[in-house]
Amino acid sequence: TCRVSMSMAEIRAGFTAIKANIQSRDPIRTLSILSHPHSLHKVKSSDRCCITHQLFTFYVDKVFKHCRTEDSFVNRKISSIANSFLSVRRKLGQCREQNNCVCGEESTEKFKQILANYEGLNVTSAAMKSLGELDILLDWMEKSR
Amino acid sequence: SGELYCSLPNPRNVHFESINMKNVLHWSAPEGTGDGVFYKVKYAVYGVGKWIRKPECRNINRTWCDLSSETSDYEEQYYASVKAFLNGTCSDWMETTRFNPLTDTKIDPPMVSVSSTDRSISIILTAPEKWKRSPEEESVSLLQVYPGLQYNVSVLNKKTKKRWFFSISNNTLVVPWLEPGTVYCVSAQIHVTTPVLDSGFSKEHCITTLKDK
Repeated sequence: TCRVSMSMAEIRAGFTAIKANIQSRDPIRTLSILSHPHSLHKVKSSDRCCITHQLFTFYVDKVFKHCRTEDSFVNRKISSIANSFLSVRRKLGQCREQNNCVCGEESTEKFKQILANYEGLNVTSAAMKSLGELDILLDWMEKSR
Repeated sequence: SGELYCSLPNPRNVHFESINMKNVLHWSAPEGTGDGVFYKVKYAVYGVGKWIRKPECRNINRTWCDLSSETSDYEEQYYASVKAFLNGTCSDWMETTRFNPLTDTKIDPPMVSVSSTDRSISIILTAPEKWKRSPEEESVSLLQVYPGLQYNVSVLNKKTKKRWFFSISNNTLVVPWLEPGTVYCVSAQIHVTTPVLDSGFSKEHCITTLKDK
């Protein structure tokens, strides 16, 4: 198994501080990047590590860098969350190298769907929507601890 | 649908008020409107492409609508919206911010029961239940919803006014080495570490330790 320590409360606090601001920049109610059509909560436990690693890579590579705002407070919170994600992704990467974080078909399919949702929007809208859904990821991670 | 020109001011402060995941939509009447305003309510599951009308909250003149049943799946997030009508005119639809039942609910204090011997008191704590549609429905404790749920317990010696604080994860606590024949008052709070959620403290439960044998 792959055990990774992370400052969940710190990430959660950072997101809570900017949640209303970020979500108000996403006018699209009818589309979700992470939770539809397939919910993260339906992912098998054996696939959880892999999809977590894929999602942290997704946020580092495709989300945070496209979420600059005109608000310096918000930008600081985003970069603090991004730094936490970077360190967790590195640890998860080590698990993958040691074959403790295997990717099954389900997580591959699920992640494909997430990328398809993301690519269905222009980059800035997709990145901002993904950032606004961070609590969906955190809720799922806490529940499946 | 018979709506004429929508020039009515909008309902204000449309928001969810949630306690133990009983999720009630509240709003304020449009500015400057007295009696006679009626409202319609609709809601949407975030990420799903349709708004759903709430029949029980159609043409109502109160300024709240219980959407607990419609928002009971706390793995989803929601929006709700309200429209006002008066004398044939109407307002725009006014929406809530995105509502996440898991992080946006408030939690009631735990139930506290206390018993004593001559030199100790035993405390049993019970977390509140998640809102449910009917008494027959299976109860879900908030302990099941929040794996990181803990209790903060305060014990006060009424005579010396000395107070102890304990933070525990399981729901029982025995406080030893107390004074016989003394009144101790217990109060407890729920603390969820992440997402950060704190209940208020329960009212005090006082008990007297037995006299020395």
